[in-house]
Amino acid sequence: MTGDPLFAHGVGLAVVLIVIVKAVVAFVALLVSTMLMVWFERKVISDMQDRIGPNRAGPFGILQSLADGTKLFFKEDLLPSRAERVVFRLAPFVAVVPAFLVFAVVPVGGVVTIAHHVVELQVADPPMGILFVLVMSSIAVYATMLAGWSSGSKYPLLGAVRASAQMISYEAVIGLTVVMVILESHSLSTRAIVESQAQHFWQWNVIRLGIVPFVLFFIASTAEMNRPPFDLVEGEQELGGGFNTEYSSLRFALFYLAEFMNTITMSAVAVTLFFGGPDGPGFHVVRWLWPILWFVGKTTIFCYVQVWIRAALPRLRYDQLMDLGWKRMIPLSLGWLLIVAGVIVSVSWGFALMGALLVGAVLVWQAARLGRRRRLAGLEPVTGPGARG
Amino acid sequence: MGSLDSYLPIFVLFVLALAFAGLSVLASRLLAPRRPTAAKEAPYECGIVPTYEPAQRFPVRFYVVAMIYVIFDIEIVFLFPWAVVYGQLGRFGLVEIVVFAASVFFSLLYLLSTGSLDWGPVKRVRPLAGRLERTTASTVRRHGATGTGDEGSGRAA
Repeated sequence: MTGDPLFAHGVGLAVVLIVIVKAVVAFVALLVSTMLMVWFERKVISDMQDRIGPNRAGPFGILQSLADGTKLFFKEDLLPSRAERVVFRLAPFVAVVPAFLVFAVVPVGGVVTIAHHVVELQVADPPMGILFVLVMSSIAVYATMLAGWSSGSKYPLLGAVRASAQMISYEAVIGLTVVMVILESHSLSTRAIVESQAQHFWQWNVIRLGIVPFVLFFIASTAEMNRPPFDLVEGEQELGGGFNTEYSSLRFALFYLAEFMNTITMSAVAVTLFFGGPDGPGFHVVRWLWPILWFVGKTTIFCYVQVWIRAALPRLRYDQLMDLGWKRMIPLSLGWLLIVAGVIVSVSWGFALMGALLVGAVLVWQAARLGRRRRLAGLEPVTGPGARG
Repeated sequence: MGSLDSYLPIFVLFVLALAFAGLSVLASRLLAPRRPTAAKEAPYECGIVPTYEPAQRFPVRFYVVAMIYVIFDIEIVFLFPWAVVYGQLGRFGLVEIVVFAASVFFSLLYLLSTGSLDWGPVKRVRPLAGRLERTTASTVRRHGATGTGDEGSGRAA
């Protein structure tokens, strides 16, 4: 069964109302949780750095991000003289709209019945489901690229070029890990992915696929969002403020909002893909509530880990970042994909492909060594199989 | 069941998000002051007046990364439908994908072996003037006590 059961009997007035209510609730929840996330990140980091952090606006400073947002409304919005005006204005929209949309396909709860309509507790359940997440995260690359390019300034342009190379590199890893999940669920629909992991926690993909894909996905999604330790896009020692140096006032706020919204959404996607989404033990009182609580709890843990990583790890250097992506994570995710596919056919195929992975690792290592030697030899290609630089 | 029906909620959310961003920008335009000066509108250079345009050319390595990404992305695009029906394909599907993955993997190996995916400056390790050990004395001799560097390289300090 693919497709949203809500639309199984045509689109009536009740269905449209349910759709609008779902969209508005998701919109408000996302906005509020983003504000809380900004506060949460600042508070947790300040605790880890032995500071107090925001504590003035509201109890425990919880309204700090609201205050900051309000302040940004009243700040002067500058348009640099060398900017490409239309694209410069367009870029914040390209950043923030997909950030809202990705969350649409994340299942936040179980299935309930409202006025004889079967309603899945997620904004939308299109048949292409998880591909929609990949599509939207690809559009985020455009936002960064357009913002940097249209600023007509040095540092944003350098940040944007770096960013696009970084984001597309790690997108390949995300794509490969998602394919592994689909191998287990036989469907692209996020609802089907979650249902295939239901009942027992050892059915969760993080265990069924053998932890490695989850680790790969988590690192790659951190890099994809340009969060520390992969935030070379805005490395302030080298690039001023990175791709959004020239942005001020509310346009800057929109980029900021999109960044934190993506943090929440990618945590939610990780929960959906690998940790069973809203799956967890429930009780017979208010049965629809428990899955939502499980989902929120798991996502919060992931958000916390993101903040923790930011507080704990120093920023990578650009060559380290690219090496990690192309020489380690992409070959490993490709190899692990073959192992997963092999184990599904038979265990002996799995072992055979595990051997192939080891051979591949040696090949990658040798190729990287040869490449490094060729570059050191003054970028002269080494000729002949026996020649050594 | 119309297949486009299930995108209706996404469309509603799209309208909401667009309205939110648009209204915010509009509100900021109404509320914020507008006093542009030439200095404010100049490209950010930490106060220095920019003398030349931002670079138009980039290291070819960025383009190489873009190309290998396209190769991998096309592979991934083919992997999605394959993964959905993998249960029915069985051993045939596995052999097929191993061959396919290997061909893409070898293109990655080729790029790695030409050094196209190596970043950072090509560093030539500077010999320590016949000295193998690195001590305080050798470092001071190389850089000079005044910290100007390049001691004895012919360049006037």
